Amino acid sequence: MKITWKIWLLAIVLVLSFLAIAPWHYLDSGVLIKSVEKNSTAYDSGIRAGMILQSINGQTFKDLAEYNAYISKNFISNNSQKLITNTNQGEFIFLSDKLEIVVTEVPNSNLKTGLDLSGGARALVKASNASLTKDQVNDLVSITTERLNAFGLNDVAIKSVSDLSGENYMLIEIAGSTTAELKDLLESQGKFEAKIGEDIVFIGGDRDITYVGVSGQDAGIYSCNQGSNGYYCEFRFVISLSEKAAQKQADVTSNLSVNLSSGGKYLEKPLDLYVDNNILDTLQIGADLRGRATTSIQISGSGSGATQQDAYKDAQANMKKLQTILKTGSLPYKLEIVKLDAISPALGKEFTKNLIYLALSVFAIISVILLVRYRKMKITGAVILTMFSEALITLAVATLLKQNLDASSIAGIIAGMGTGVNDQIVILSESFNKEDTNIKIRERIKRALFVIMGAFFTIIAAMLPLFWAGAGMLRGFALTTIIGVTVGILITRPAFMDIIEQIKGD
Amino acid sequence: MFDKQKFSEWYDQNYKILLIIPLILVIASIAFIVSFYVKTGDIMNKDVSLKGGTSITINGNVDVSVLEKNLPSYFPDVGFRKLTEVTTGEQVAVIIETSAGPDEIKSKITELRVILTDENSSIEFTGPSLSANFYKQLMFALFLSFVLMSCVIFILFRSFIPSIAVIFAALSDIIIPLAILDFLNIQISSAGIAAFLMLIGYSVDTDILLTTRALKKKEGSLNHRIFGAFSTGILMTGTALAAVLPAFFLISGLPDSFRQIFLILAMGLVTDIISTWMTNASIIKWYCHSKNIK
Repeated sequence: MKITWKIWLLAIVLVLSFLAIAPWHYLDSGVLIKSVEKNSTAYDSGIRAGMILQSINGQTFKDLAEYNAYISKNFISNNSQKLITNTNQGEFIFLSDKLEIVVTEVPNSNLKTGLDLSGGARALVKASNASLTKDQVNDLVSITTERLNAFGLNDVAIKSVSDLSGENYMLIEIAGSTTAELKDLLESQGKFEAKIGEDIVFIGGDRDITYVGVSGQDAGIYSCNQGSNGYYCEFRFVISLSEKAAQKQADVTSNLSVNLSSGGKYLEKPLDLYVDNNILDTLQIGADLRGRATTSIQISGSGSGATQQDAYKDAQANMKKLQTILKTGSLPYKLEIVKLDAISPALGKEFTKNLIYLALSVFAIISVILLVRYRKMKITGAVILTMFSEALITLAVATLLKQNLDASSIAGIIAGMGTGVNDQIVILSESFNKEDTNIKIRERIKRALFVIMGAFFTIIAAMLPLFWAGAGMLRGFALTTIIGVTVGILITRPAFMDIIEQIKGD
Repeated sequence: MFDKQKFSEWYDQNYKILLIIPLILVIASIAFIVSFYVKTGDIMNKDVSLKGGTSITINGNVDVSVLEKNLPSYFPDVGFRKLTEVTTGEQVAVIIETSAGPDEIKSKITELRVILTDENSSIEFTGPSLSANFYKQLMFALFLSFVLMSCVIFILFRSFIPSIAVIFAALSDIIIPLAILDFLNIQISSAGIAAFLMLIGYSVDTDILLTTRALKKKEGSLNHRIFGAFSTGILMTGTALAAVLPAFFLISGLPDSFRQIFLILAMGLVTDIISTWMTNASIIKWYCHSKNIK
């Protein structure tokens, strides 16, 4: 068999596609480091996000479950220990009482699986009562990313999308998260203000707040009590103010007099903390702080629940949310969630499994039909090989374009395979037409090409509008279909024609 | 035994009559869609992704009789759909749909002591203003897609009647499945409308094949060329159906929106057999006679 340059091209593109998808990551053991707390000993030793952590102190772990089991067993006390960590980029040794890194499962390949396959939450958000420009949405994207990261949600993909009517939205996808968390973080604008009387002393964000305590002695739940309607737990954490904010506080307090009814202990007005114009807490200001620029302030709040455990969890969640707001400042707009979806990870796994069955049954049924029609294994093999190549190359291109594979984009790949088979049948029908032997094969292939090109352009024309309609929610479907048919026209179809000519020659 | 010669003679005499069958189907479908519009105010039965609301899917064989009994008094428009395994008939999930927001319906379900966790359920909420906007845009996209496809067909064939025949066939492939979906009261999702767009591109390849063979090939008689195109085209439609039908009949546990894409593609492909080989073939044959193409 003569291997023409078109067949070579197909072979090379197939190898490149395989490299782009990198399915051998399936064999990798360990956990992927998503982020490392700056100023931690782990960070100082050189551990960085993106590395694959394989073992700690000689204990290896295959996956996230084994890692979590190891961590919960070995990091109970607050005593520092020597940690010898092995990653795919070398060994790192440091002393610490905890591992200040966020990890996730090592992906099986470079394919980006969307929510339908991996589970998680997705929200389409717009500013309520305002129409945002593209630039404003881009700003919103960076602030929201910061807020979600500060909250500890790391596996987030946020981007701006627009639709046919020119409306701009922000699209957020979070693997393994819940809608409740997402809703909570997005729907509160998080406008934090600390006021004395009507004077704003400082606000949330790094302009006024230089440090927010999150662990150790700087933050925690310090008491839980039973009330009439259940339990209440109180949290407390320290923040540091910038010198300018501290000075502002000094200026305001210098004009206050001492509240004599408190026995001269406090000033006449307290420091009121507001979140989104609702009062969160009122802190009495010690008389000795009058006119003094203090940079360290203790913030407190509470959580409630039917049981002590619920109240503790609620207080913890409230503390985390408040810390997030103080760190990142308020969102520039009040947001409205116009679409909110959550897919359970269990469903996603089930879908992935069924997709494999689906692909196998499609291949099997088409093979049988072609075998019955052409009665030649070689021809059937060539068609199936071409179909498989198209699907693989489409997946690789989608991976390179960072397209998340969701249900509709996979439907697009399958539909693209369907049109691919149609084109191949047109080629087969022209090349194996016994009645028109007086017409040269080249002439017939040219005619087949006319039909194929016509079908190609109509598919492109039909799918293009989907790129913009509906805030691009169905863009994956259009994209994979277009990639599939384009790969067909440029790479697989020409190779298929040459393969068929070779089979005919035999 | 099939007598090709006799069939060819019969076809020569009756091809114009064959044109009437799909025409009746299209007119009946349009009439049904119009009556559906008069009755419901829309040309299709939209699901929550297009009319706004919440859809909750609870996986597994969960007993929801308590929800079926109690939820309608709080949410008058609530609907239940049970998904079953194709082979065993066992319930694999239940879908609860309402125009209410996700928090209201979720808290009521939990109150009625049906366990709802992030693990066992999926939830989809679309705000009413967004869904109305989505629907408008997708319909516009459908229209635009049809216009663009028509332009491609005109550029390809550069002659009026054959191009119109292809475009009419594509239109039938949309209208007939839509009427069937309306008749069966199937709710159409945004992915479903995307499937209609796909159908525009998917169904015309057999029409292009037929028109090319009839007009551009010179060998054999016209009937011979049309029959040749038919045997290729039917194989094409057959394999295309083989690609889309397993998702609907063979494999369960696929998302509803995914299955709907394949259901609509399958309906369109079956319709395409009629619209290509009855409508389009008859018009092309008529056209070739009038132009003296043999």
